[in-house]
Amino acid sequence: MIVDIFSLGLLAAASGLLLGFAAVRFKVEGDPIVEQIDSILPQTQCGQCGYAGCRPYAEAIAAGEADINQCPPGGEGGVIALAELLGRDPKPLNPENGAEKPKMLAVIDEQNCIGCTLCLQACPVDAILGAAKHMHTVIARECTGCELCLAPCPVDCIDMLPVAQNIGTWKWSYPLSMPEPRRAAEQVAA
Amino acid sequence: MANDNPSRPTLLRVEVAYARADRQVIVPVELPEGATLEQAIIASRLLEQFPELSLSSLKVGVFGKLGKLSAALRTGDRVEIYRPLLADPKEVRKKRAAEGKRMRRGGGDLEPDGG
Repeated sequence: MIVDIFSLGLLAAASGLLLGFAAVRFKVEGDPIVEQIDSILPQTQCGQCGYAGCRPYAEAIAAGEADINQCPPGGEGGVIALAELLGRDPKPLNPENGAEKPKMLAVIDEQNCIGCTLCLQACPVDAILGAAKHMHTVIARECTGCELCLAPCPVDCIDMLPVAQNIGTWKWSYPLSMPEPRRAAEQVAA
Repeated sequence: MANDNPSRPTLLRVEVAYARADRQVIVPVELPEGATLEQAIIASRLLEQFPELSLSSLKVGVFGKLGKLSAALRTGDRVEIYRPLLADPKEVRKKRAAEGKRMRRGGGDLEPDGG
């Protein structure tokens, strides 16, 4: 009898210690749901959702301030993935935020670029290389097609061209269920 | 803390980038602390890849700001090699004015009562 109580007590104490240790050792930093939502979002940083970028939109969704259908670049696939993650019903994209479009790439017309740097400042992902009074060039691999550089250009020298899909431009399609393989793929491409 | 140990000097991780319309390259390089833009560009081997570049005439900078080849790097910098403009900004503006197009905010000149 005494042995039973003692051994069970010991077991309980050991489990308690283990759980206590695990709680400290594996403490989750930040809100994991925000990370998961952010990994579904396309990282275009285009602001069409009404937030400054993908991460702020993810935080707003997690906080219940934003709906899941405000991301046109993510498209229907993105809405469905978010709905699955959050256990909600998918819904069509909110037309107020824009329409889903094929992936585009900004291209600068070099004959007209005057080196004003306004597009550089507008680019949320540093995809334009240039300096004052020097040629500006879009780094195709970095461009998310967000179109934020179009409006500031004083000479209308930026065009959006559809991205032809080939081995060089292919990327893991969003939403990403596997962020790690994408990283690996990008490293190889680099 | 990393500087306390002289046998393991801290490394600067920077990128060196060069972009043409047809091809854009970003090369990550690691350099000892105190390295300059010039050292990063030499380490990137971009000068060998692009014969049109020569170190003596390079226009370089970091993240859109023109700088000197002798300037010191900081970790995370993107060293950029720039190309000259093809257009004369004054001519482009004149042409747009002649076509009756308005220069937008930030572009400098607005037409007197255009738009």
